[in-house]
Amino acid sequence: MGLLTILKKMKQKEKEVRLLMLGLDNAGKTTILKKFNGEDINTISPTLGFNIKTLEHRGFKLNVWDVGGQKSLRSYWRNYYESTDGLIWVVDSADKRRLDDCKKEMQALLLEERLAGATLLVFANKQDLPGALPAQQIREVLELDNITTHHWLIQGCSAVTGENLLQGMDWIIDDISSRIFTMD
Amino acid sequence: MSAPREKKKGGGLISRLAKEKKTEKNQNYITEEELLQKDNISPEDVLKLPKVTENYLCEPEANVFQIDFTRFKIRDMDSGTVLFEIAKPPPSEDDEPDAEAEDIDPNAGRFVRYQFTPQFLKLRTVGATVEFTVGDKPVSQFRMIERHYFRERLLKSFDFNFGFCIPNSKNTCEHIYEFPELAPDQIQEMIDHPYETKSDSFYFVDNNLIMHNKADYAYNGGIMQQ
Repeated sequence: MGLLTILKKMKQKEKEVRLLMLGLDNAGKTTILKKFNGEDINTISPTLGFNIKTLEHRGFKLNVWDVGGQKSLRSYWRNYYESTDGLIWVVDSADKRRLDDCKKEMQALLLEERLAGATLLVFANKQDLPGALPAQQIREVLELDNITTHHWLIQGCSAVTGENLLQGMDWIIDDISSRIFTMD
Repeated sequence: MSAPREKKKGGGLISRLAKEKKTEKNQNYITEEELLQKDNISPEDVLKLPKVTENYLCEPEANVFQIDFTRFKIRDMDSGTVLFEIAKPPPSEDDEPDAEAEDIDPNAGRFVRYQFTPQFLKLRTVGATVEFTVGDKPVSQFRMIERHYFRERLLKSFDFNFGFCIPNSKNTCEHIYEFPELAPDQIQEMIDHPYETKSDSFYFVDNNLIMHNKADYAYNGGIMQQ
């Protein structure tokens, strides 16, 4: 019921919010989405398309899109940028070999015009694994401190235990809501 | 993109949403007969329907993108219990289409009958998941509109734009929503009149109707029939 808790916070700002969750394959995007919504996470297979959660609560709408991260699917990501309020970039913190790849893909997204207004949340996932790099180190590898174009936050988390998922989602919704509020 | 909403709340409405709402309010009703005359049926058309249709508004052959629904699931968000799940088995190599094709009702795959217990109408928040596959052509704008009625009363109209679908993809969408609030006498009526609660699911690609599915619902499961 995580998303519903978040959605209730949006109360005063009648709006439809769209979150786009991307990252390399096997980063844990679908597991985050399912864990956060109280679903079984034991039978997740690679996403060969998208998984959407759409929530309605007293006229508020929150739509979360999780799009597959396999190399063959990344060229399709662009089709999902439109109207995105928040980008959630999911990192497998234990996959050190591909961190460079991960950085390149993320940096490319930040240059996308249609994502220019989006808030960025980086989930340094798999913190429950013994070999995982802590969020601080992921922050350095991805050079997050050089980002000046987007509001951002990095949050260490574990999709398996659920640790810090709510904190991260809470932050991104807060950040989006405050921007919308200012625009009004 | 955004769906029409039943309730209007105060506060700072984004003008885009406000405009859409206005358009929706001012629209007129349209009849099924009028729609059947048209070559292409649009989302705006079906949103004007005042009741469930008698007929399917398109042929099964209209589904040129080979969009195939492979799973439906309903869960109770408050308890986390899965209330209903049905999955279509993947097509097997040994199917003999010739032998079976003759007796197959062309509408067989387009209609589902649901039987629930009265408890179902007391749920507060439900999650309804669909899983679908797409053929080898990319789909640029995929949208679904689902309208639920009890007799001629619209209980819920759900409108969602999936947007782009990747060729040969398998996708899921869970819609988590609060059950429409129903008065106790309405609930009783729905229980007493099985299968008079009905729904139409319309699917559009680039604003043209390509699929139309129907369902009906009973809520008297576990109650002895006369």
